[in-house]
Amino acid sequence: MPSIVPTLTWLEGLGWTTAIRESPWGYPLIETSHVASIVAFAGIVIMMDLRLVGLAFTHAPLALIQRRLFPWQMAGLVPSMATGVLLCCVDPLRYYRSMFFWIKLLLMALAGVNALAFHLKTYQRADRWDEDPQAAATARLAGAVSLVLWSATIVTGRLIPYNWFN
Amino acid sequence: MKMKIFLVLLAAGALCAVQPAQAHHAFAAEYDVTKPVTLTGIVTKMEWANPHGWIYMDTKEPDGKVKHWMIETAGPSQLVRHGLKKADFTDGMSAVVKGYQGTNDPSLANGRTLVMKDGRSFYIGSVGGPNDGAER
Repeated sequence: MPSIVPTLTWLEGLGWTTAIRESPWGYPLIETSHVASIVAFAGIVIMMDLRLVGLAFTHAPLALIQRRLFPWQMAGLVPSMATGVLLCCVDPLRYYRSMFFWIKLLLMALAGVNALAFHLKTYQRADRWDEDPQAAATARLAGAVSLVLWSATIVTGRLIPYNWFN
Repeated sequence: MKMKIFLVLLAAGALCAVQPAQAHHAFAAEYDVTKPVTLTGIVTKMEWANPHGWIYMDTKEPDGKVKHWMIETAGPSQLVRHGLKKADFTDGMSAVVKGYQGTNDPSLANGRTLVMKDGRSFYIGSVGGPNDGAER
């Protein structure tokens, strides 16, 4: 398998990635936006998950919560992904060599699969327990798994600056 | 109930407020405050980069051998605030750097003060280092 390192080295050497990496204000601005949009995204995901596990808004139908929160989750997800990809482009080799970065990607992938499985399978039959304070067991499990995976994603993201494994 | 939540949040906020401000990553995670170093040598390269800059420096050991150092500095925005710019660094310039040695890596250091050949002195440390008077 050909190595990805030459491609990442090329990416790191480009004019615009170098300019952001060396910029006194551009990089901090992107980094801050990344964190701020994660806060918005994860905060709203947590509220949805708390409804699923039966700890919040139990008096409100699940579909109502989902309908109201989903657009705002996406409004947080899109800028957090965009700024995240941008940060990777600016310093690709650093992330390539960071163990925490790969763990974070894996956790995000798992959280994505969990969310997708919930929406495509469990949620399709939600009308049967939509208004129950207690969602179906599979839905409660999906909510709990989501809480754990997204929390772990944020923690590993914060740990990327520490090179314990390098 | 609402009052209780409010009080818990208030207490949590108060606890956060008494915690000292943390840097991008903690100084103590990588550097040893009991190992201050003063490095006199040649700057072979300066990486003016976010989130932290790096000064690559060659010093002469007592036995004449050349030692290669990697010195972590603050990021560009802080360096600019302390009066430095990228063009102040030229490969091969001589300089003196005061800082602290790495806990596990003896060729790693956290830079605190940079003294140029012309005598100008700059604070280059990140937030969160020891209160050693380097920051003015």
